[in-house]
Amino acid sequence: MDPVTFSIIRHRLFRVIEEAVITLKHVSGSAITNEGHDLMVSLYQADGSLLMGGVGFLHHLTSAAEACKAIIRRFGSQIAERDLFLLNDPYTAALHTSDIYLVAPIHHGGKLVAWSACFVHVSDIGAMNPGGFAPEAQDIFTEGFSSPGIKLIERGELRQDVWDTILNMVRNPEMVALDLRSMIACNNVARERMLALVDKYGAETVDEACATLISQSEARLRERLRELPDGQWQSRQYLEVKGEIYKVLLTMKKRGDSLTFDFTGSSPQSKYSVNCSKWASLGGLFAPLFPLLCYDIVWNEGAIRPITMIAPEGTIVNCTRPAPVSVATVGAIQSVNNAACSTIGKMLAASETYAEEATAVWHANHFAIFMFGNNQRGRLAIGILTETFAGAGGARTFADGVDIGGEIPNPISRMANVETTEAQFPIRYLFRRKLSDSGGAGKFRGGTGGEMAIVAHDAPDGGIHYVISGKGARFPQSDGLSGGYPGGVNDYVWVRAPNEAHNVDRFAQTLDAIPGESEPISWGVFPLMDDDGLYVRWNGGGGVGDPLDRSPEKVMADLRSGTISGEAASDIYGVIQTAGAVDQRATDAKRAELRRARLLTESL
Amino acid sequence: MSKRLAASLFAQDGKICCTHCSYPLTPLGRSWKKEAALSTVPVANLPGAGSNIEPRVILRRFACPRCGHLLDTETALPEDPFLEDLVIA
Repeated sequence: MDPVTFSIIRHRLFRVIEEAVITLKHVSGSAITNEGHDLMVSLYQADGSLLMGGVGFLHHLTSAAEACKAIIRRFGSQIAERDLFLLNDPYTAALHTSDIYLVAPIHHGGKLVAWSACFVHVSDIGAMNPGGFAPEAQDIFTEGFSSPGIKLIERGELRQDVWDTILNMVRNPEMVALDLRSMIACNNVARERMLALVDKYGAETVDEACATLISQSEARLRERLRELPDGQWQSRQYLEVKGEIYKVLLTMKKRGDSLTFDFTGSSPQSKYSVNCSKWASLGGLFAPLFPLLCYDIVWNEGAIRPITMIAPEGTIVNCTRPAPVSVATVGAIQSVNNAACSTIGKMLAASETYAEEATAVWHANHFAIFMFGNNQRGRLAIGILTETFAGAGGARTFADGVDIGGEIPNPISRMANVETTEAQFPIRYLFRRKLSDSGGAGKFRGGTGGEMAIVAHDAPDGGIHYVISGKGARFPQSDGLSGGYPGGVNDYVWVRAPNEAHNVDRFAQTLDAIPGESEPISWGVFPLMDDDGLYVRWNGGGGVGDPLDRSPEKVMADLRSGTISGEAASDIYGVIQTAGAVDQRATDAKRAELRRARLLTESL
Repeated sequence: MSKRLAASLFAQDGKICCTHCSYPLTPLGRSWKKEAALSTVPVANLPGAGSNIEPRVILRRFACPRCGHLLDTETALPEDPFLEDLVIA
């Protein structure tokens, strides 16, 4: 194939996805989609394998491929032109029930030539807790509507009976309908643009370009793997739910041009909904692999072929039905993300060629806080606090991580403006800002996380409630690299309103200044009523290298900006200041003292 | 001829060495962490620890026994083994 035509088709495929993403965002009305970018759009081959991975949450690229394959197996010859299918069963392909896949076959000249697929986290799915994350669920049956595949549109006509049935099972049908319509529009645009591409260049030429793209991705990833050192690297992530501790243990082995991710040694599946299915784990390890190893390689089936996953059945990373999984995306899946990011980072750091591509673990913990209740306009509102997507960059081997700098598994994640959230819910922000001492210490510091506090405001019912599936408060999970410290942890504090609700400080600017009794929380449903406050902090990225090697001037700059505390400057970085400037002699002495202290080896 | 093993370690003459001072920690193929100077600190004692941190979780700091340069860290519960990374040089 001539290289110019090939390049044009490759770029047109990118643009098909880009335009479909824009469509999805413009139609959806929920902040989690068009502000937080908790979405994904990709293209798949006629057999369901990944053709062109798009942006959004990258866990879904491989899982949506399984969704397409499941639809092909289930419907076979009943798949017709302009059909559209819904699938959200986690034991078939999806990550959790509230992440709904809509997948659509694309026919040209009567022949199936490709699939488009997308997802959004719908604002409710009828689980026992509003919003889809169901910390109180004991099994998949209490996690809401779940389909292993159902035809929603047949030959271009909406199946009204199916549509009505789905919307009859959710708490806020108007918003869920908008979410579903955004995905229908997205798939329509993807189909139209794909057909325009095939019309212009011909099915055979497009087919050949797609096959070349896939073989090219496989060849390029294998070539990259051959350039990297052979070896094995380990990572361990801890999750805690209501006093029970779970581990995700990963041993990544690299030999020649293949990589194996082995989760043997991970904890048995949990009675809580932090588990994930094997398809979710596979997606979870690819989410960091695509950007870290395939940053210049098209994300498709070819990039999947060199990778093998071992996930023992019955563990937290490959649970068996009917174990609950609704918190998977912020539970086991994110721990798989982190562990894969850590081991890939170590492998890259071991390479002369690719050392600058290495990173410590980025923002390791989402906090899923779904608020629900009547808003200031008297309407039921259900939605997430999108600060969970704000993230924090892990440090690199040559630079600090980016403060509140997003996350590895979703290259386009971001948080909504304060005003967007305040317009949707009867709440008011007291503050939202960077969090001191949250970036992992190191020669290169991890990016900071943030902190925020909210109170009820103009609420017809006196306030609202929220569902919290918060992990990451008990254990740091943004691991450092090559001597770097981990990023700080999450924190969730319910400040119970004092009995005398009058005369309280309604403009407190710190957690301590919010009147009431502070109680750490992480799991369940809690009130934000009357003068209650909710304080949340999110973790920073991991650091890289020995903190005692950090330039004292950079430490002082961090101190002046409030990025680190005086305690950290002195005790972790060994920098002593006099009158606001580095005291070099005292700093040298302090750093020598801290190094000597490290040599007092503990008995093993 | 030396070979990079990590940002803080390299291999030379069949040994795993500290990048900062070239101190040979252990022969290649063996766990270098057991030969490093280990110091631990409860994560709860680090600046910025949260209000609900697990009191038993520690930060293990593996340093070069000669120069005190920090080679690696890991968070762990005390009963859990070291994470083992092995580059085939």
